[in-house]
Amino acid sequence: MVNVRGSAASIRGDNTHLTRRDLLGVAALGLTAGAPIVASAAGPSGQLTWGIHVSMAPTWFDPAETQGIITPFMVLYALHDAMVKPMPGNAAGAPCLAESWSVGKDDKSYEFVIRKDAKFHNDDPVTSDDVKFSFERYKGAAHDLIKNKVEAIETPDPQHVVFKLKEAWPDFLTFYSSASGAGWIVPKKYVEKVGDDGFKQAPVGAGPYKFVSFTPGVELVLEAFDGYWRKPPSVKRLVMKVLPDEATRLAALKRGEIDIAYSIRGELADELVKTPGLTLKPVVLQAPNWIYFPEQWDPKSPWHDLRVRQAANLAIDREGMSKALFLGYCKTTNNAVVPYTFEYYWQPPDAVYDPEKAKKLMADAGFANGFDAGLLYCDSSYANMAEVVVDNFAQIGSRAKLEPIERAGFFAGYSNKKYAKGIIQAASGAFGNAATRMASFVVKDGAFAYGNYPDIDELFPAQEYELDSDKRTAALAKMQRLVHEKAIYAPIWQLGFLNGIGPRVSESAFGTIPGFAYTAPFEDLTLTSA
Amino acid sequence: MGQYVIRRVGYCLLSLFLLSLTIFFFVRVTGDPAALLVEPGASADDIAAIHHQFGLDRPLWVQYGLFMWSLVRGDLGQSFYYQTPVFDLYMSRLPNSLMLAAVAMIFSLLVGIPSGILASVRVGRFWDSAGKMFALLGLSLPSFWVGLVLILLFSVYLKWLPSSGAGTPLHLIMPAFALGWYFAAAHMRLTRSSMLEVLGSEYIKLARLKGLPEALVIAKHAFKNALIPVITLAGINLVIMVNVAVVVETVFAWPGIGRLLYEGITFRDFPVVQGVVLLGGAMIVVVNLIVDILYAVIDPRIRLER
Repeated sequence: MVNVRGSAASIRGDNTHLTRRDLLGVAALGLTAGAPIVASAAGPSGQLTWGIHVSMAPTWFDPAETQGIITPFMVLYALHDAMVKPMPGNAAGAPCLAESWSVGKDDKSYEFVIRKDAKFHNDDPVTSDDVKFSFERYKGAAHDLIKNKVEAIETPDPQHVVFKLKEAWPDFLTFYSSASGAGWIVPKKYVEKVGDDGFKQAPVGAGPYKFVSFTPGVELVLEAFDGYWRKPPSVKRLVMKVLPDEATRLAALKRGEIDIAYSIRGELADELVKTPGLTLKPVVLQAPNWIYFPEQWDPKSPWHDLRVRQAANLAIDREGMSKALFLGYCKTTNNAVVPYTFEYYWQPPDAVYDPEKAKKLMADAGFANGFDAGLLYCDSSYANMAEVVVDNFAQIGSRAKLEPIERAGFFAGYSNKKYAKGIIQAASGAFGNAATRMASFVVKDGAFAYGNYPDIDELFPAQEYELDSDKRTAALAKMQRLVHEKAIYAPIWQLGFLNGIGPRVSESAFGTIPGFAYTAPFEDLTLTSA
Repeated sequence: MGQYVIRRVGYCLLSLFLLSLTIFFFVRVTGDPAALLVEPGASADDIAAIHHQFGLDRPLWVQYGLFMWSLVRGDLGQSFYYQTPVFDLYMSRLPNSLMLAAVAMIFSLLVGIPSGILASVRVGRFWDSAGKMFALLGLSLPSFWVGLVLILLFSVYLKWLPSSGAGTPLHLIMPAFALGWYFAAAHMRLTRSSMLEVLGSEYIKLARLKGLPEALVIAKHAFKNALIPVITLAGINLVIMVNVAVVVETVFAWPGIGRLLYEGITFRDFPVVQGVVLLGGAMIVVVNLIVDILYAVIDPRIRLER
């Protein structure tokens, strides 16, 4: 996740005489995937075992420390629950612990009604005190932003909680439901009893699975919580094993030692497809990958010329690269930084691969013999993509040299503006909406913006507090169109995250929540034998 | 003897002090751990809060002083990533690493020593060439490749062994082989060269002139003397196996200390890296100290010379 200045997300449609409150009310009636489903009488049984590609951290067990990256949510969706969160069929946020909510007439207050049957794993009911406590102790991604917008939290009774904002802020729900972890609820009494560290050692949540044990770097074991409000889970026990090596994960899946393997790429994914009994489960992430030209604001740089940036856009063989590296499962949207599942997304014209036209543009710009493009910086995890891009650029005469950097170092360097000379290949899987992405990657002072264009900047403040959905949509569409026309970025695609499942899995829940990388909701998982 | 032991202990403490200094400063060259604990693009305040939480906002010499003070009290610190005492993490992984190292060492000695002896008594012939080939492959094939081939063969195709993890004796076989092969090759090479040196010595010639059976000459007179450097090396190798089997433990998802070190490096978890390196270093230093003292006990000239 990125540090954003906020914005976006009013869904009031004045032209149709539907207010945002009306729409939210409809959503809250349960006409979404978040609505309770009658459970099967059989009760949970069996075990599912995952091969996880990263080592889990105890901070992932505490929503208060949620990083704005997608990875910890692989655990949060099992252990905890939020008032409102992305669910199948509702990426913007479905009612969960909150069965409904309403927005005040002045758009400065949000009143949530908590489900009566919502309870924690220790059988304590979820109350408004817990909601207030969870918000106040939240210190994860965008905590400053969201807390600064809230003036007071009122708890008139255990079932009702009212967030009073300092001023109308259309993005409140975007941040409360997904772009932060502030809306994920922990039990106040229990946390106060065991302390923050004790909570991470033995977390108690309101999610579909209870904590059983955690062995750092080895595995996390969870057990079904029969009292989960939406429905009792079908699978009794979940074991998430850390298997850092991709080939080992595939071997374990083939042998039936695990049932679900995250992140199997390239030739290994091809092998997975060819293996009888195994199924490839690709998910298009809310993570666009792009090429950025930080030198475009330097008049002396070739990248300052729009034609050179347009040539670079035309030079990238997106489809060929997707087939070679991700079996063709990446989605080419041609929107550089905004995922297609986000609110206020604008769809650009289709991406074109035309190296001949690119060469002509280069010649028109005075670079018929090409130029030395310097270093192409990238996260070393995705150096395979950058290698192709370097090759594609070389074919039109833009000669870049690959500079892969370890992930954390790369993002630190990127946000600290250390790569002002050269080219950058990057991505973001952060939650949010089109406005949050513009704030971070496009407008002046954005955390990852190396320069800015005044005509785009002036559109940003106007939409930030715009409560008229149409006007806001139009402003954000114009901003995205300008980003496209100025070729500030060369979009690559939204990454196809490839996973595998074994024969014991009936419903893996991959891809049911748009843009979400992992298996969720966990209560929807089923075994074939069950 | 007492002075000799005190002197050796002093050297050991100096070595550990220098190691602590080196690892403390080198691990900080890898970058800022806060970058891994907050989201990309996090505010300066958030990063500063992380620095403060872990004491990274203090001057380096203060951090080092606090680290040493904790160390003196037996506290290796708290893992940034796992938020657990490093000593607890280390001890939770140690039994697995000891088990893996022990089996790998037994394998390496059972294979390396006999093949080294065989190669030395059949110099230039088939067994010598085969032994050298075995050593060449063992030393040159990367262990991650060996590991993956083993998984493919014994786990995926033959379905004889579990692919990864720990828990049963079957889980041990492949990682022990992958780890042990490299060391078996090293032990084979050393045994061979040591045996060749001993077999060329005067007392072996005398034994042969006396008409002793060749098997007796090799087993009783040559082997015993040739074994000393091999055993010394094996002791050091055992410590290395326990602490730095990083690749093998990662490929086989073996929950040992090598993987803990890998995780520490990956997450810039300074206390974990410092703790693992220091405890590993301490093991090597202690083993060396014991060896030195034993040498001095066996041969008084050593303590007099030093």
